[in-house]
Parts: sequence; structure tokens; C-alpha cells
Amino acid sequence: MNPVIEVKGVSRSFGGLMALSEVSFAVGEGEIFGLIGPNGAGKTTLFNLVTGLMPVSAGSVELRGKKLTGLSPHRIAERGVARTFQNIRLFKGLSALENVMVAQHARTRAGLFSGVLRTRACAAEERRVERKGWEILELVGLAGRGLELASHLAYGDQRRLEIARALALEPSVLLLDEPAAGMNAAEKHGLTSFIREMAARFRLTVLLIEHHVPLVMDLCDRIAVLNFGELIAIGPPAEVRANPAVIEAYLGAE
Amino acid sequence: MGTAQLIQNLLNGISIGSVYAIFALGYTLVFSILGIINFAHGAIFTLGAYLTYALAVGQFGINGLLSGMSLERQLPFALALLVGSVLAGAIGVLVERFAFRPLRNRGADPLLALVSSLGVALVIVNAIQYLVGAEIYTFPAGVYGELPPALMFQVSGHPVVIRTVQAIIFAVCLLILAVVGYLVRFTKFGKALRAVAENPATASLLGISVDRFILVTFFMSGFLGGTAGALVGTSFGVAGPYFGVTYGLKGLAVIVLGGLGSIPGAVLGGVVIGLSEAFVPADYGAYKEAVAFAFLFIVLLFRPQGILGRKQLQKV
Amino acid sequence: MGHFLDNNGFLLVTLVQQALLAMSLYFPLAAGQLSLASPGFYALGGYIAAIVGTLDYFAPWRASLGWLVFPLEWLLAAAASALLALLVGIPALRLRGIYLALATIAFVEILRVLSLNLEITGGAIGIFGVPQLFESRWGYIAVFGPLLVCTLVFGHRLERSRVGRAFRAIREDELAADAMGINTTRYKVLAFVIGAVLAGVVGAMSAPFLNTWNARQGTFDASIAYLAYVLIGGSRSIWGPLFGGMLLAALPEVLRPLKDSRLIINGLVLVFASIYLPQGISGTLARFSPGKRKGALPAGEPQEDA
Repeated sequence: MNPVIEVKGVSRSFGGLMALSEVSFAVGEGEIFGLIGPNGAGKTTLFNLVTGLMPVSAGSVELRGKKLTGLSPHRIAERGVARTFQNIRLFKGLSALENVMVAQHARTRAGLFSGVLRTRACAAEERRVERKGWEILELVGLAGRGLELASHLAYGDQRRLEIARALALEPSVLLLDEPAAGMNAAEKHGLTSFIREMAARFRLTVLLIEHHVPLVMDLCDRIAVLNFGELIAIGPPAEVRANPAVIEAYLGAE
Repeated sequence: MGTAQLIQNLLNGISIGSVYAIFALGYTLVFSILGIINFAHGAIFTLGAYLTYALAVGQFGINGLLSGMSLERQLPFALALLVGSVLAGAIGVLVERFAFRPLRNRGADPLLALVSSLGVALVIVNAIQYLVGAEIYTFPAGVYGELPPALMFQVSGHPVVIRTVQAIIFAVCLLILAVVGYLVRFTKFGKALRAVAENPATASLLGISVDRFILVTFFMSGFLGGTAGALVGTSFGVAGPYFGVTYGLKGLAVIVLGGLGSIPGAVLGGVVIGLSEAFVPADYGAYKEAVAFAFLFIVLLFRPQGILGRKQLQKV
Repeated sequence: MGHFLDNNGFLLVTLVQQALLAMSLYFPLAAGQLSLASPGFYALGGYIAAIVGTLDYFAPWRASLGWLVFPLEWLLAAAASALLALLVGIPALRLRGIYLALATIAFVEILRVLSLNLEITGGAIGIFGVPQLFESRWGYIAVFGPLLVCTLVFGHRLERSRVGRAFRAIREDELAADAMGINTTRYKVLAFVIGAVLAGVVGAMSAPFLNTWNARQGTFDASIAYLAYVLIGGSRSIWGPLFGGMLLAALPEVLRPLKDSRLIINGLVLVFASIYLPQGISGTLARFSPGKRKGALPAGEPQEDA
């Protein structure tokens, strides 16, 4: 199996404090891969390193054998790595539809002057982008709210819009940072099937940070456990659940 | 450059640099707690100069509403400086109360505070112009009482001159810095100031009335700005209602150079820019005005956190 | 009577000119960049026009080109502004928020001190007798008017295009925009250059209009005045700087009966407008006409909790 994402000995320190130390793992094609661990274990830091929002202190990240480390975030996004944020970072003053249209930026061409002059090609592209925007909103069940400002959406809808925005980038790898945060039980249940459906439909490889253990156990093919910046276990859910180190570090602490 | 010239430049630089320092302190106090730049600070500088002049000299010129008027009693210079600065501080308090607080309470875009404070600056500057016109006011020679106008001594055969006003400026600034240093270091106010600068949310935990605390800060800021204006005015004359604009901008260069929001940084930045200006060769004297801005631009490009500022980590 | 008309012509052209300068600040702001550099580029454009118009060295150009020398000046000003904007913008736009604003203030001041001291810019006196394009002040509406219309159409269409959406995404959240595949540096520099070119061209048109050009044309006060135009007009669509620039630039004229105290009132208006019109004039108007907006893209919608 050729890995899609390969994390190779990645470390990151903040002023002498090790947030991640020599973490290595690989995620295969089509896998739904969970990252769990107590608060401050370095999960979000790992996402930031993969998406280029922060530089690594050591090690590298590869996408299908090509190095991502050192590229700027928008280049990494162009190569098909999309993400959501733990604390929701939508473009609040833009409509839901526009949020999804913005994310198609890397997949479209129109320049400053063709956009302002509204050339024929540009107008066609614009219509395509808008149509696709509606399709994706439909998919996440937000078609009825497309013209509302992102900041006016309910919390759960904002989480779904963020996923929609990531999907609009046409990624092959999707990084979800606590997608179930703030959702009620029914919504969490819906989220599981939604993520599965999206992964299958768009042939996505999914990396997922989540605190809600039952959801992770249910959804993920494999799980990696981080504790104080170190990878302490990796494997299928049942195996990880039984791992004594994990029970002590994380599950036991719950 | 001979030794005498070197010493002369150092003296000139430290004297003007110390005024920059106390002026910039006023900026940085407000910035460190509110995270905004008070563009009215330059106008308060101007106001301090006019108030001190009015109190110490009491003679108005031939323009504006107050033309030909005079005050019956004149205060000694030291007292005029103190009262003028206190009044400037009071105006600072009014500025906070009417131009900043309403915006803060509404959680408005911080950019609006720039516009609002510029509006205040326009009001102050044009009110001065309305009252006393645009003429230049210079402090008469006898304003310091019996003191000689300058001290002169020889260094390896060359004269070095310390103007009395330079010595006074330096002494006043040193005194003010000592007082501010004491306040910040050893009092409850200083503790609160540092706590709020570190993290505004902690202020309420410490049981500080934030609004009153901000008022005190604006008073200090206005006081410092007013003193600086009065000192520059005594040294070089009060060159019309707009003479604070350049100093207002230079003050920005000073606080950025030292590190935005850093109190020791403002002092260091002031002295560095004062000295740099003093060492500009006379042939290029016209470019002296650009020194501060060249510093500002270069520092921002290569070390935006300034000399003493800490680099801020971006939160993702 | 002719004098009266000429004065009104002067006022009208000045209002259009101020609105255009407000727009030059609006473009970087649309991409989230608080740049106060416009007066610097405005001054640069004006000096280029004044120098080409008066220096003996360019006399053959003027003789052979006739009135076409004016469009040439505009092009030169646009090119020089774009070049300088790239040079300054690429390093400076790594800075955020107030730091960028301060860097651009420094830029304007450095240009001002240079122009005060260089021979070619006429030092403190400046350049006199810049040749006129039209005989009457009214004539200049024929150049400023079309520029205004073009800029409005440009700005309005930009908001609804791929590049404009990228600008607004950066304004909303630069980091998220980067993570969504937008080359933020590139678009920030682009927005900065657009503003610079506009300010430069306005400067080049203004030097003949004002007949003279000097270091007082590009100052810090002007920077903040333009910012006030944009924020008070409304910074979320191109109509904001149009309204803001026209109204605020007209204010001193409207207040002229108050004579000496009019600038005091002007300052008070800035304070009150900041406090009571948080979304600007265009934002406030948009709130009271909800049915007016149609189509898929509410580009100029004010943000409730900005």
C-alpha cells in the first residue's frame, strides 16, 4: 500500500517546549484515520504542520511521496490538502455560498482584468463556480441558507459549512479538526454517516481529530494516540482501546 | 569630528531625545492597554505648549479671538509647566471619555478609533488657531528667572555649549521618567498596567475598575504629551497650531523602534532617535526630519517587534 | 458670473478627486490591508506630471505630442506608481494591521522630505506653472469624471469576481484564506498596487488642475482624511468611498459660513460619525433597504458584529 500522507519524524518546539517530538506514521488511500489524545497533546499542531501554517522544527511531511514541508499553505491546499479548524474560521462577512466559491479559487483561472471586463470565458467560469457552490451546499444540507452571511448561521451549520468549504477545494486529503465539537448526540450520529458518505463519494483520505471517543472508535479505520507530543499507540480501534499505555494516558483520564 | 563636536552632539541628542522619550511614553501607555494609537497625542503636545506659554507669559499676539489680550498674573515657569501639563492631562481624559470610550463600549472596529482620534486632533488644533491664530510664539529670555542663557566650557580648545533650556529639559525629563518608573514598578497602578498590557482579561480578575484605570492612563498620557510640547516650545518656540504634527509622527517612530507597547522601549527609542538626529551632518541638515521615518520603515521591515518588544506568536 | 462658475467647477472636480483618492485607499482595505500610502503615490504622480510639463528637457515631447502629452503623463505616473508599489509592497505587506499603517506613514513622510530637498521637485517651493489641459476648471471634469466612472465600474465588478472574492476572503481571515488555496501575498500586493496606480494617476491629473505642485500635496493628514472618507462612507463596497469622499470633502465648503470655526466642526463630525455610523453611510443605507439587493452575491453587505 502506498501511503497518501506520510509523516516522517516530525518535531515542533515552541520556545524550548516540545509540542511534538519525532512523530511518524502513514495514512493509506481512502483511509479514515483518527488522531486522539488529551488536550495539549499536539494534535492541532500536527495539522498546522501538515497544512504548512507553521514550519516544522525537524522532520517532513509527504503527500504521495512528494514533500509538502516548506511549501506555503496555499500551495499545499492546491495539491489537494484541505482542512477545517477547531475554532471555526469561516469568512464571516461573506455569504455561505461565497465561502464555498472562494474555496474553488485554486481550481479556477480568472485574472484581475478578465474578471473586471467579464470576458466570455470568465463569465462561464463564474457560472460554473456558482453552480458547483450550490451543489456542495445542497450536499451538506445548507442549500436553503446559501445567501445568508456565514456569521448568521447556527453553530452546527457553521461546522457543516466549513466542511463544505473544504470539499469545494476538491481535495484528496481532508483534515477535520474536532468536527463534532458542540454538536448534540443526534448531530454527532449524523456526522459519522456524513463523513463516511463524503469520503466514499469524493475518494477522500480523511484525518480526523476528535475528543468524542465513541465517534472516533465507530468511524475510523485506524487511530493514532498522541500524548505530550509523542505517538504512544497506533492501530485499529479495538487494538488501541486495549492498549494499556493509552488507557493510562487518555481513556483512563476521562 | 573633534571631541568637542562629539560631546556637543551627544548633549544635543540626549536633550531632544529625552523629550521624545517622555512624549512617546504617552503614546505607548495608551497603546499597551488599548492596543490603539491615539492620533490626538500630537495635538495634546501642541496644547501643552500653548497652555504653558499662556500661563507663564500671559501675552497673546495679534491674531485670533484672544488677540491683544493678556492674563493679569503670570506663573513662574516651573509652576506654569506643571499646571499646563495637568490641564493637558485633563484634556486627555476628556478625549478618552468622549472619543474612545463610546467606540470601545460598542466593540467597534479599532480603525474607527484612528478616525475618531484624528477628529479630536482637528478640533484641538483648529480651536487653538481660532483662539490665538497661527503666529509663532517664543518664550522670552527671562522666563527662567535669573539663570544665564547658556553654559559654555572648553574641550581641547573648542567650545561646547549647553543652553540652559537644554539642561532644564533634561532635568525635567529625568524627573518625569523617575516618577513614571516608580509608578509602573512599585504601585498598584503599575501592577495593573502591566497585567492589562499582558492580558486585558486579567484586569477584571484583579478587581480593577477598567474604565477608571483607562482614564488614569489617559491622564498620564496627556500629561506627558503636554510636558513634552511645553519643553519643545520653550526650546524652539511654539511654531503655530500645527507644530505638533511632525512630533506626533516622530513619536510613532520612537515607540515602534523601542517596541510597540514597551515602556523602557519608548525611552530607549527616544534617545536613539534624538542622538541619530543630532549626528546628522550639518550639510544634510534638511534630511534630519527623515531620520526618524527611515528608522521607522527599516525597523518595521526587519524587526517589527522593535528593540525591546517580544515577538508575538500567531495563534492558529 | 464666470468667476462663480469657475469656483463651482473647482469644487466639483475637487470632490471627484477626493472620492477617487478615497477609493485608492479602499482597494488595499478591501483585501484587509490598512495602507496609508496613497498620498505618497498621489504626490509622485503629480511630480511626474509637473516635471514632464515644465522641465526644458521634455520640451521636445511637449512640442511634438501636443495635448497627447497629458495621457502620456498619466501612463508614466501609473507605471512609476506600480513599480514603486511593488518595491515597497512586497516587503511591507508582510506586516499586519497597525504595523503596515505605520510603515506606510513612514513611506509617505520619507517621500515628503525627499521632495522638499531634491532639486528636480523644486524643493520647498515646489513646481509652478504646470501647463493646463483645459482653460476652465470645469473642463477637468472631462478627465476626472471618466476616471471616476471607470473606477466605480472596476471596483463594483471586482467585488463580484474571483480576484475580488480572494481579496475579501483575505480581509475576513488571512490565515484561513491561505489554507483554502489563496496566494495571500500575491493578492495583498495586487490590491496595494491597484490603490497606488489609482492615486498616482489622480496625482498626475491634479498637477495641471492645480497648476502647481509641492510637498504639501502628500502629507500624513491627507492619509487620515482618506481613511476617514472610506470608513465613514463605508468600507465594504466601492460606494462607500464615493459617498464618504464627496460628502466629507464638501463639508468644509458647506460650513464656510461658519468661517474660522468650520474646521472645528469638521473634526467633531469625524468623531460623531465614527461613533454613530459604525458601518459607514453606505452600510447604514443598505440596512434600511433590505429589499433592494438581489442576486446571489451580497457583496456590500455590512457585517453585523464587525
